[in-house]
Amino acid sequence: MTELFDRIIDPTVGPAGDARGRTALAARPGDLTGLRLGLLVNTKRNAAEFVEEVAGVLAAQHGMTPSITRTKPSIVHPAPAEMVEELRAASDVVVVGVGDCGSCSASAIADGLQLEAAGVPTVVVVSDAFRVSADAMAELQGTPGYQYVATPHPVANLSRAGLRDRAAAAAPEILALLTGPAPR
Amino acid sequence: MTTTTADPLALARQAIEHCHAQGWTDGLPVVPATEDAVAEFLATVDRDPDEVIGAQSHLDRRVTVAQAAVNAVMAGCLPEYFPLVLAAWTALTGEPAAQGGAWQSTSGPSPLLVVNGPVRHRLGVNCAGGVLGPGFRANATVPRALGLLVRNGFGIRPQQLEQATQGVPGRWQLCIGENEELSPWEPFSVGGGVPAGTDAVSAMLIRDCEYVDNRHTEDVEALLRDLADTLARTGAYLGIKHSTGGLVLGPEHAQQLAAAGYGRADVQQWLFDAAVRSQADLRAVGKESHDAEPGPDPMHMMPSPAEIPVIVAGAANAAISMVFRPFGWSTWSGRSVPVPVSLTAQEAPA
Repeated sequence: MTELFDRIIDPTVGPAGDARGRTALAARPGDLTGLRLGLLVNTKRNAAEFVEEVAGVLAAQHGMTPSITRTKPSIVHPAPAEMVEELRAASDVVVVGVGDCGSCSASAIADGLQLEAAGVPTVVVVSDAFRVSADAMAELQGTPGYQYVATPHPVANLSRAGLRDRAAAAAPEILALLTGPAPR
Repeated sequence: MTTTTADPLALARQAIEHCHAQGWTDGLPVVPATEDAVAEFLATVDRDPDEVIGAQSHLDRRVTVAQAAVNAVMAGCLPEYFPLVLAAWTALTGEPAAQGGAWQSTSGPSPLLVVNGPVRHRLGVNCAGGVLGPGFRANATVPRALGLLVRNGFGIRPQQLEQATQGVPGRWQLCIGENEELSPWEPFSVGGGVPAGTDAVSAMLIRDCEYVDNRHTEDVEALLRDLADTLARTGAYLGIKHSTGGLVLGPEHAQQLAAAGYGRADVQQWLFDAAVRSQADLRAVGKESHDAEPGPDPMHMMPSPAEIPVIVAGAANAAISMVFRPFGWSTWSGRSVPVPVSLTAQEAPA
């Protein structure tokens, strides 16, 4: 019977894509003091404000220097190569945010991995409703288990004060992922 | 596996269950695809089976003509539907709204496929009563084939990479023929660049569908006002970025409008002008905060007259129409795609 059913064509098997294998994560600095902080904004409502608040915390409490902010041209696609290069050139670490929708959460993880591959320690912030998409994207990109920070959903409806609280709450985890432990 | 080959019907059921168990289905039974069946489908088109017809580079997935055939078999299509399936895929993937993350979107939009030309009769595409409902094989299986290709080919499955909050009722089931015979206007596909009388398919991604029951008046402005009221619903408005709306006009409404001298463009213009909301209405529902600049007061809820697709379909048995809501702010591209004649149909004796 099994042999007979083996003749049923598997509809999921298509041509090979461009899999690049597991991304080697960038080496983490032990201390953020004096380092340049890049921000990658995905255009989702409140994303820019959220990462700005995160930058405020990292600057005030950890001596970082916000150095560059870039906004993706498309919320659903990973950042273009030129933008990744700009961020790499101008930052020592990057925060990406905020994955707060179906496709943009997955694409934010892809951005994190692009930046890691370019040698930049990166933290992606995703709202917790989209863990499934984020995890699936990490796996699709060949790097299952890639760690990110999940902030409670939703983000889009928060006031500025709410965002400030949220960023403060996320900061310890962001800090931990930027500074270590040594990536796998 | 307790069934034996002694009972072929039990075996057929077991093969269907096998497909479910592999995670290849949308929840309904599929036809297990075999090499022979796929070959029959591929024989209807002059296409390289290995041609890549879609890619989701961020997901590291591509799909081919052959894979479309596999999923069309599974969807329950007849081989002669396959040229329409491929043309519908071209139309759909050519839509700006489908080129981003639409398949993963929390909106859970559905393609609405619109078929024009003689192919409607050749394949039995329903254009009349219950046009958005079940009961017609081509209408039911052609969009399903596209849905299975997205699921199986791109690997986008609900509650995984597909994150629809609720999703649209009728998702991957919305394929209608335009009722050209009862429409007072040129076929919808003519506006899409395909001459009248030529087989064509158009695709839009939509977020909902709502009926407008107006059988109480001969006053066309009253009718248009009724349609505009549904188009101007605040819930569909996305703040600074417009949503839009379209119509599946029942033949009676279309004829009533035409008899009063309205062409399609006149209807579009009237609805654009009338589908407005005050800034106070938008503020009252919390939607002003999306706007860097609030815009005019009142605000047009439709982005432009041309971006209000108007299709004529359904039975001429009540003056009922549907308003549908294209996904996002990149509305219909305005392009229709010709459907090549099935090679097997061409070669078949008359």
